[in-house]
Amino acid sequence: MKKLFIIIIVFLFQKGFSQELFLVTDPASNVPANSLSVNVQQSLFKEKFETGYTYHLMPEATYGFNKNLMFRATAFVSNRNNNFETEGGSFYAKYRFYSSDDLNSHFRMATFGRYSFNNSNIHQEQIEIMGHNTGFETGIVATKLIKKLAISSSVSFEKAFDNRPNNPFPDNIANNATNYTLSFGKLVYPKKYTSFKQTNINLMLEFVGQTINENGKSYLDVVPVVQFIFNSQARLDLAYRQELLSSMLRSAPNGVYLNLYYTFFNLKG
Amino acid sequence: MNFLNKIKVITVLITILYTTIGTAQIAKAEIRATGLTCSMCSNAINKQLKTLPEVVNVETDLNTNTFVVELKDGNTLTPLVFKEKVEKAGFFIGSLIITVDSDIVLKKPYIIVKDSQNMSKQVQIQILDKGFVTEKEFRKLVKSYKSVATFNKNNEDVFHIKILN
Repeated sequence: MKKLFIIIIVFLFQKGFSQELFLVTDPASNVPANSLSVNVQQSLFKEKFETGYTYHLMPEATYGFNKNLMFRATAFVSNRNNNFETEGGSFYAKYRFYSSDDLNSHFRMATFGRYSFNNSNIHQEQIEIMGHNTGFETGIVATKLIKKLAISSSVSFEKAFDNRPNNPFPDNIANNATNYTLSFGKLVYPKKYTSFKQTNINLMLEFVGQTINENGKSYLDVVPVVQFIFNSQARLDLAYRQELLSSMLRSAPNGVYLNLYYTFFNLKG
Repeated sequence: MNFLNKIKVITVLITILYTTIGTAQIAKAEIRATGLTCSMCSNAINKQLKTLPEVVNVETDLNTNTFVVELKDGNTLTPLVFKEKVEKAGFFIGSLIITVDSDIVLKKPYIIVKDSQNMSKQVQIQILDKGFVTEKEFRKLVKSYKSVATFNKNNEDVFHIKILN
């Protein structure tokens, strides 16, 4: 724990520019209007109570409707039930309602909502509508960019329903939770830009937590991320998720992410 | 003439009216954008600006987020289009300096609030209205130009300008 705080402090006070294109937390900023972003997230998480790993594939498309509103659709594919199959999908919308920008800095706030459906079996107390539960999530996110550092934080309410048709939500566990995130990001390379073609490298540290509202059971994870941006248009993220604290049943808390992202700018003028 | 046709005619008339009023002939625009430090963000603005058919070239300084936009002769663009494009990319204008013929600045849609003595044939002007300067700067300008009745009136059809050379 002590080591971790030292790492965070060193990370915060290093010089450089910053980034907010986080892996787990979506910042208050949106994708550009009329642009389409395609994202393919893959993850491999180690099973705690069984041998082996679970592989999740999440292809995602994001569209900027206007400068303040964006929409996203996601599909959930996994091998949890031994076969590699599509288990569900998700719709997401985010509305930026506040912006205060200055040269090389901004403070922005947005509100978001997500509805997901999933048919897989329910095997943990953790509520996760990204690939596990049917349900909804709604919340707000605030992002501050101060020259060399981006800090983003979100709070949301998440509620799970039955995973239709065959997996009703268990009666013996609670179905709603409060989620919170705190993310830091900064650009470590280049120190000085020369062109759009230059590869950028960002380092990020994200904290992701949840508390079940009924009984106070909680977890807190840390996600260090290395991000490469190619040609100012494509993105590659490598990340590791590690549980720091947990008082709830989770079937596979620790694992790795590989994320590929591409933006098609200006679908219409 | 049915109702829809009437609307069409009115729309065309309004468009013609606006384009004739706004024969600003901006030769060059220098935009400094706010709220960003990443090259992917700059690229979003760069790509937005390039969607304008009037744009010949966009030169970007990624370290200062400055975009120098070269425009075709005879264009009828007004400064408003740059604000819309930058905001579509998700950011804001911190400063906008345009190069225009000096006779144009005396006409609508421009209102000179800060003049210059030696006016050459082409002049560089800075737009001082809300959305064309940083929020901090705008608050200062509102105080400075209290006496200008049209300033701070959220009127997007006129532009208050400062002549730089």
